[in-house]
Amino acid sequence: MSQAGTKKGAVSKLNRNAAINSLIICVVLLLAWVAGFASRLFAVIRFESIIHEFDPWFNYRATAYMVKHGFYNFLNWFDERAWYPLGRIVGGTVYPGLMITSGSIHYILHLLNINVHIRDICVFLAPIFSGLTAISTYLLTRELWSSGAGLFAACFIAIVPGYISRSVAGSYDNEGIAIFALQFTYFLWIKSVKTGSVFWAVAASLSYFYMVSAWGGYVFIINLIPLHVFVLLLMGRYSNRLFTSYTTFYILGLVMSMQIPFVGFQPIRTSEHMAAAGVFALLFAVAVLKYLQSMMSKSEFKFLVIWGGSLAAGLVFATVVALTYAGYIAPWSGRFYSLWDTGYAKIHIPIIASVSEHQPTTWFSFFFDLHVLIATFPAGLWYCIKHVNDERVFVILYALSAVYFAGVMVRLMLTLTPVVCMLSGIAFSILLELYLREEDSGPSEIEGDESTQGGKRLYDKAGKAPKIKHEQVKEQDPIGPNIRSIAAVVLVLLLMLFVVHCTWVTSNAYSSPSIVLASYGSDGTRQILDDFREAYFWLSQNTADDARVMSWWDYGYQIAGMANRTTLVDNNTWNNSHIALVGKAMSSNESAAYEIMTALDVDYVLVIFGGVIGYSGDDINKFLWMVRIAEGEHPKDIRESDYFTEQGEFRIDAEGSQILLNCLMYKLSYYKFGELRLDYRSPAGFDRTRNAVIGNKDINLTYLEEAYTSEHWLVRIYRVKKPDEFNRPRIPVANRVIKSSSFISKKNSKRKKGLIKNKPVVIKGKRSQ
Amino acid sequence: MKAFVLPIVVFSIIALYDVVGQVRKPGVGLNDRVQQLSDLASKKVVLRFNNNKFRDFVKSAPRNYSVVVMFTALAPQRQCMVCRQASDEFAIVANSFRYTSTQQNRLFFAMVDFDEGSDVFQMMKLNTAPVFVHFPAKGKPKPADTMDIQRVGFAAEAIARWINERTDIQIRVLRPPNYSAALSIMLLVLFVGAFLYIRRNNLEFLYNKTMWGVWALLFCFAMTSGQMWNHIRGPPFMHRNQHGQTAYIHGSSQGQFVVETYIIMALNAAVVIGIIFMAEAAKGKGNETKGRKFLAIVGLGLISIFFLLLLSIFKTKTHGYPYSFLFK
Repeated sequence: MSQAGTKKGAVSKLNRNAAINSLIICVVLLLAWVAGFASRLFAVIRFESIIHEFDPWFNYRATAYMVKHGFYNFLNWFDERAWYPLGRIVGGTVYPGLMITSGSIHYILHLLNINVHIRDICVFLAPIFSGLTAISTYLLTRELWSSGAGLFAACFIAIVPGYISRSVAGSYDNEGIAIFALQFTYFLWIKSVKTGSVFWAVAASLSYFYMVSAWGGYVFIINLIPLHVFVLLLMGRYSNRLFTSYTTFYILGLVMSMQIPFVGFQPIRTSEHMAAAGVFALLFAVAVLKYLQSMMSKSEFKFLVIWGGSLAAGLVFATVVALTYAGYIAPWSGRFYSLWDTGYAKIHIPIIASVSEHQPTTWFSFFFDLHVLIATFPAGLWYCIKHVNDERVFVILYALSAVYFAGVMVRLMLTLTPVVCMLSGIAFSILLELYLREEDSGPSEIEGDESTQGGKRLYDKAGKAPKIKHEQVKEQDPIGPNIRSIAAVVLVLLLMLFVVHCTWVTSNAYSSPSIVLASYGSDGTRQILDDFREAYFWLSQNTADDARVMSWWDYGYQIAGMANRTTLVDNNTWNNSHIALVGKAMSSNESAAYEIMTALDVDYVLVIFGGVIGYSGDDINKFLWMVRIAEGEHPKDIRESDYFTEQGEFRIDAEGSQILLNCLMYKLSYYKFGELRLDYRSPAGFDRTRNAVIGNKDINLTYLEEAYTSEHWLVRIYRVKKPDEFNRPRIPVANRVIKSSSFISKKNSKRKKGLIKNKPVVIKGKRSQ
Repeated sequence: MKAFVLPIVVFSIIALYDVVGQVRKPGVGLNDRVQQLSDLASKKVVLRFNNNKFRDFVKSAPRNYSVVVMFTALAPQRQCMVCRQASDEFAIVANSFRYTSTQQNRLFFAMVDFDEGSDVFQMMKLNTAPVFVHFPAKGKPKPADTMDIQRVGFAAEAIARWINERTDIQIRVLRPPNYSAALSIMLLVLFVGAFLYIRRNNLEFLYNKTMWGVWALLFCFAMTSGQMWNHIRGPPFMHRNQHGQTAYIHGSSQGQFVVETYIIMALNAAVVIGIIFMAEAAKGKGNETKGRKFLAIVGLGLISIFFLLLLSIFKTKTHGYPYSFLFK
């Protein structure tokens, strides 16, 4: 990490400076790591060391399976407990990088006789990787601008909420490690473009391989790097270094990415990957032309370029179109397509539109997640454009594409965050470098030194005054010491506001495990609502091992992970029609739902109901999506408009539509709720989430019976009755109107029993004659 | 959408011709009416009704066909942009029905323009446009026979689904391939190409980093201020409440107004300009000391004031956010 390479001046001074610089850099990066780790621990400290939310539960379950059964069994794992009755081939439908990472950490620790439970590794994996992300961001920014900017960027990304949102302790998800892989791949790519060495290109493709194994967002890399190459070609910046690094990277990356079972042949068969192949061909064409140019006259060359170029382009285009029509190349996938045509998902794929992460982004979300960075990063972009070179072209393209994608989908804020941190780091580093300049010493020494102090101050938020004592007033200094110091104070103030903002957001918005809820009383006392785990534990203890539980897909992973029961649908939403079937069951009336439930062998139905405590993420609030998805597959039976009132409102009170008030989801959510009076002021059956008295208080269930309701009614579980339980209810003998003893048959005694004449007599052990 | 302007003009010319040239004889039997309707429909898909025709074809009692009527106001002086879009979508549905369905005589598409059939609007008690009403073959339209465009919109697919709900006639929407996007891209490419060709001796401006920088920054400002959200969700420009006060800032963190995003864009830009001013002031080597000092102060002011304003707007939208500085 030595920064000495660019130094001028006496050798001894240079050595001393280099030592101090690398010490400072190490310390700052270490502090960034520690601060980033610490600020991700809110959830662990407030609650406990548990896995959060939904998807992490699956990842955890898969990791635990891998640790227990070994890697090869994991790859061949057929999970019969999910998507009943279809099952799921887990090994071929996951990105295994996450499981392999934590599994190998677990393995190494156990080799060293450190007995850590795999759960704790899973919980703390993302915070640990955030430190690695900070370091790789530092390396990347150092290649792009300067060491000081790199330290700023590292400090920013360590605590910025846009990244913390996906990497708090317990949020054991692909993104947690993928952002590290993303940044590291970019760093190695930039390094290889700069040096043109095969070594760095191979390293970049290895890192790319890790990224492919970890997250579906690798498509971003395999499109951005070719875009970089393409733009460099357009700008006339072709060089042999570029040729070496891209061809090496592309071929190795392609071969290695196809080793992941889930990716398989996609890199040569889908449109998302075609840009990379096209640029690969183009790069060769340019290289050949450059070579020919040295041997031809100018006019000959011109002719060749125009005719050969257009012919080749036309040929390639025609081939791609033909292959697409022939079905060898799959067209854009729906999720990807919705990035370009922004109205696409809304019309065609309700399951994509139903996920709140796939909504467009308001300015509020940008500011919430990035704070001062969102206002300052364009300045960094500006200076990158002004002082453009090969590698800065990359960061410009990265910023522009990421900011577009983040605008289309909230979820992709995650890919924007690193580049915003880098560019903001550059902006702050430029400013502080200029305003804390010591006039008589070389600029590069100060750069590392001073911006480091700026970066360090992010963590010393005790309001330490900025160091301005070494600013000597010079006659030729046009700015003047006063303004310099005011500027420094203002900038540090902005950074302090950023730090407190980050902490506040992390603590308030991103540190909820969402399987354990907390409510705060007026006096500040905290009440833990542990209904989810309570109910899942009940399921695991009181139901048969092969019981099948129907719920909306959001809870599939949790039921599988915590209750260890078979689910019908889960968060891996690969089969839309199966989900639609569950949605149809939930939105039909009880008898129609019963048919579906018997067809699917359902034993228990689980619904989430928030009306008692005012929890807004419950199934009734999600209900319209169930209707919409069901309508998409069964438009004859389910119609969204039936669930609205005449005025087009969705109401659960007495004015709501009758179909809504009698559908299965409504009945299961509000069963017996009409008798419950929550407090003295509100009437019985008052739903706190929707602030209304329910419309159907008198709910009778024919085909189901209540099996379990958790303490705060958050989770309600119903048992589906077997046909004999309701079809022919058994009446105790005493209650029978027609007593069986007084029953006199009108048949004569001879016919009383079915007799077979000439019945062969069977004696045990002997053959009948 | 552009591709439809021409057909609609043609339709309206034919329609005018029809209104002038045809005189309806009252009291014609059902079969005759169906015959007339299908004759009309074979000329143009969306029938254009005035008061008389509406009465004859829609209001008259024995019918064995459904009519889907769009009540609209297409005259330019009405300034109804929505009507025009809705009319285009309606025409798509009608054409799709025409080319795909085999039950041609069960369903007809018609439109009543306010300026030609104001009596019909009065009769139907309508005071807004566009409104889609389905007149079933038997009986009067129920409330659900009026399409709820507030909720489902008026995209061709939505109209087709609604018609399917009401009449059980399945219409597969055939959107004529939208060449306008491809055409406009081609035009743009041609234009840029021509521009570059004309200026082929003077291509220096392509290397002008300031120009590229300004474009890139504008793009960033547009995206980070939520223009994409506006584009997809279509929020109102600003909000005016009952007391006549206008709100420029949406109260909750879930939404935003168009004008709000412009304010945010300006604030972000001001901060960035402030940073650039400060950097340029300190960087330049010259002797115009006064000017550079002034530039630095202006830059610093821009950064601090506009960022703190941004923060205070953010604070008004966030419930329980504790931090602000200078501005409440």
